[in-house]
Amino acid sequence: MTIDLAPLAAPALHVLHQAFFGAVAACGFGVLFNFGPRCLAWATGFGAVALAIRTLGLDARWSLEAASFAAAVATGSLALVFRRRLGAATETIALAGCIPMIPGAFFGQALLGFFALTSPDAVGVEATVFQSIQALLRVIFTLGAIGAGLAIPVHLVRPGRL
Amino acid sequence: MREGEDDPVITRHRDLEKIANAALRAGRVAMESGANVRAVHDVCAAVARGLGAEDVGLRSGYASLSITVSAGENTITRMSSVGRLGVNQRLDTEVRRLAGRVGGGGFVPASVHGEIDRLLRETPRHPSWLVAVATGTACAAFGRLLGIDWAAFLPVLVAGALGQELRHRLLSAGVNVFVVVGIIAFVAATLGGIGARTVGSSTVAMAMMASILLLVPGVPATNAQTDIMDGFPTVGSARAVWVIMVMVFASAGIWLALALMGVTL
Repeated sequence: MTIDLAPLAAPALHVLHQAFFGAVAACGFGVLFNFGPRCLAWATGFGAVALAIRTLGLDARWSLEAASFAAAVATGSLALVFRRRLGAATETIALAGCIPMIPGAFFGQALLGFFALTSPDAVGVEATVFQSIQALLRVIFTLGAIGAGLAIPVHLVRPGRL
Repeated sequence: MREGEDDPVITRHRDLEKIANAALRAGRVAMESGANVRAVHDVCAAVARGLGAEDVGLRSGYASLSITVSAGENTITRMSSVGRLGVNQRLDTEVRRLAGRVGGGGFVPASVHGEIDRLLRETPRHPSWLVAVATGTACAAFGRLLGIDWAAFLPVLVAGALGQELRHRLLSAGVNVFVVVGIIAFVAATLGGIGARTVGSSTVAMAMMASILLLVPGVPATNAQTDIMDGFPTVGSARAVWVIMVMVFASAGIWLALALMGVTL
């Protein structure tokens, strides 16, 4: 009996693509945040994990908010598992892994939409209002989901802080 | 001998003042390095108790820290201003480690100041060119997550890197942070847009958006939420307002760039 894996190849490649670029983005922001080499490696790994989980959630037709929450909970929990190795930087490294999920582009779209509404020759006002509010709500809920997802494991475990 | 120099209450107050100042300085460095309020309070309290304070009370504002330290019947309150809040993970971690060591005893206020001076002097920082390249790469990776095509990858990387280097120089020159955000958003988006268009990208608008993602204040945004959850709504709200202001200036910058390029999202 042979198993046809072809239908799984495209979704798997998509997850790998997102995980890879999530890792690269987390690593880049880690350098910006002055992470040391060891913390950078961890942040890169967490970035890959976070984006892989979020992508799997989105592929399973979850909302962006739900997928981001699941990814943040998983990343925060994973960081806590390794907290003895990560030390005082545990929470910061987990956060860096989740930075690629911050919906900055949606925030920009929302504000640009609101800017467009104030122009003297605004067209398609109703659609613009709808899209802007939708983008803004996605920002608020997704940011909330990431923050809550990272905070909940920490509040449950309460590791040594210093 | 000056008046009051042999008064035990005054002498004890002077000791407490040294303890308070050392604790505030450690907390200030942690806060300026991106720590959330709970962590800052942990640092201050550990230093103050390790130096001999019996009771410690703390209050945080967005740009200030206050501490009340007590020993016996003596109590003093001191306040310190806090500078621009950034993110410096290595310095943050080192200050927390120092606070843990001071909390274990064996330090005096002067040695804490000496250790903080050493950390400020010796904690390594990545060279600015590396930060610029890494930030540009992060923007390009972010762009791929958002759906830019491969043709736009390099232009976004270059625009993000140049934007980061310009941000570094403007902030070092003391330019207002929000003005810097507006300038960087305009410059990086314009460079990203011109580059993407030149190489024939079909995702020019998204490339312009990706080029300014270095400005997205991810750490302050999550710190705002963490602070509110931890019971510090004042600082959390202030951070949230700061985040909104940054995004408003970033949007104004990219809006100008889009208008200049004749691109719509």
